[in-house]
Amino acid sequence: MSKVIIIDDEEDIRVVLKEVFVRAGFDVRVASDGDEGLTLLREEPADLVITDIIMPGKDGVQTAYDIRMEFPKTKIIVMSGGGNAAPQDYEPSAIATTAYLASATEIGADLTLTKPFDRHELIKAANELIAQQDAS
Amino acid sequence: MLLIHAVLLPLLSYGMLTVVRNVQEEVFIDHVRIYVRVFADILQAKGELPEEQEILASLDSSILGGRCVHAALSVGDTRYVSSIMGVADAARFDEDFEFGDHGDNVYYLSTPLQLGDELAVLEMGFDEMPTLQEIAGARETIIYITLAYLLVTIVLVVILSTVLSKPLRRLRHDSRQIASGDYTRQMSTDSNIFEINELSHDLENMRSTLVGINARLAAEIVSREAAESERRKVETHLRHMHRLQSIGTLAGGVAHEFNNVLLPMLLYTDLALEDLPEDSPVRPHIERVMRLANRAKGLSEQILTFGRRSEDRLKSVADIAPIVDEAMSMVRALIPASIDIRTDIKRPAGPMSCDANEVQQLIVNLCSNAYRAVVKGGGRITVGVAPCSVKSELASQHPRLEEGKYIRLRVADTGEGMDAATVARIFDPFFTTREVGDGTGLGLSVVHGIVERHGGDIVVDSELGVGTTIDVYFPQTAEVDIQDAQGTISDE
Repeated sequence: MSKVIIIDDEEDIRVVLKEVFVRAGFDVRVASDGDEGLTLLREEPADLVITDIIMPGKDGVQTAYDIRMEFPKTKIIVMSGGGNAAPQDYEPSAIATTAYLASATEIGADLTLTKPFDRHELIKAANELIAQQDAS
Repeated sequence: MLLIHAVLLPLLSYGMLTVVRNVQEEVFIDHVRIYVRVFADILQAKGELPEEQEILASLDSSILGGRCVHAALSVGDTRYVSSIMGVADAARFDEDFEFGDHGDNVYYLSTPLQLGDELAVLEMGFDEMPTLQEIAGARETIIYITLAYLLVTIVLVVILSTVLSKPLRRLRHDSRQIASGDYTRQMSTDSNIFEINELSHDLENMRSTLVGINARLAAEIVSREAAESERRKVETHLRHMHRLQSIGTLAGGVAHEFNNVLLPMLLYTDLALEDLPEDSPVRPHIERVMRLANRAKGLSEQILTFGRRSEDRLKSVADIAPIVDEAMSMVRALIPASIDIRTDIKRPAGPMSCDANEVQQLIVNLCSNAYRAVVKGGGRITVGVAPCSVKSELASQHPRLEEGKYIRLRVADTGEGMDAATVARIFDPFFTTREVGDGTGLGLSVVHGIVERHGGDIVVDSELGVGTTIDVYFPQTAEVDIQDAQGTISDE
């Protein structure tokens, strides 16, 4: 059974993604921030980590980087709400999340997804990534 | 000058004549008096009364030499006369003692003599004629000289006026022309007079300096006006950009939050539908929720298309015409067949760098708006694509356009048209003239984002009741770039 860790600061998203993956037959654990996710990963390695990009504490880019350093074989999907990361800051300098996603890819995320996405799409992508890992 | 001469010369001549006449008269009178005195002395020398014969011989000899024309000696009652004048004339001597008097041209003089014991009176008359002739000759000479002088003066004046006044008049004429605004007129004279030439050169230097200053000022004004209009253009553009950017940032932020809510909504609904029995009475409701959530997803995507930065890489295509064809087949599928849609596509329309999907979305959005404009009152939609050159006039009105080659995509309708206030706001997100629920108001802001990303600009021309023409200008790329790009694509 493929092992997945889901990291997101929003409980609603954690819960629904867990449900989606459980139904698809994955072994799922959830964490609410990057450090918690890394702790889970160290307890027991996973095939795939899905992490949100904008989170309090350790953000998705940093989390993806740490995972890539410590667990080179683990596949990483980084997801984002799109638009601008700081909605309370309406200045033109607000960083577009596309830039975050680009830097996540740069440091080794295997896939980036923009919310909202279809669950079948997500499962298909997850399976493909895990299949790649098995192949290598 | 002539006037001065005309007054002074007669005066001078008159003065000279008077002097000559006086001098001549004095000389004549002195001469005559000496003559009479000498003659009287000769007669008195004997100390006694001479013989009659002797007296007559003396009188005759006196009139034979010199100018004496009449000599008479009265001794007591005896009167001896020797004269070459008529007796009648000679009789007048006692009343004519003025030079030139009486018109008889004879000057008379008488003097008392003591001849021995006898007292005698000597009368002598002298011819004034030679002296008068001399005076007349002098007068003639003076008049001739005066006339000659006048003539020379007149000639000189004429020559001077030609030599002096003519170039000066020309300078004056030229300077008046310049003063009245003809700065191109060169000031020059062909005078032989050094000072006039110098003056002319100085004036010409002054003129050319002024023309230079004028030209510099004119150029300065033009460049300042250009800079000012450029500044206004940039200012307008920046204001517009800043507004759109703020709206884009706000929209992007909203979309971010929105998507974080939408994702669980969509997924929960999807899971719920999976769990629901096919015949559940709740299923249609949940399906409706799913559809609405998907619509919200589309909306959010549109917001993001607007807010997205131009980091996307555009692909170069050799010709935009096939992309437009494809878009038009989508448009025809979407818009009822009752609407008259015409196309006017130049082949090839021209090479450009574009995102084909975005260009198609742009065409669909523009046609959708055109459809809404014509659907009420009927009308026609025309979609045209052609290469074109943007001239400076158009470029000056639209800051993002520059002079050069563009591809113009035109979507024109003969629908209801828009007023100026509406045209000014049509690219704002969420701005819509439609009824609530009949469209999002994002269509044209998406169009705007797409055009901006392609480095183009939009020109809207609309009139209420006549229709709307929207021209989208995309910059043409050079042929070389296209070939390179195609090479890269085929390598992949």
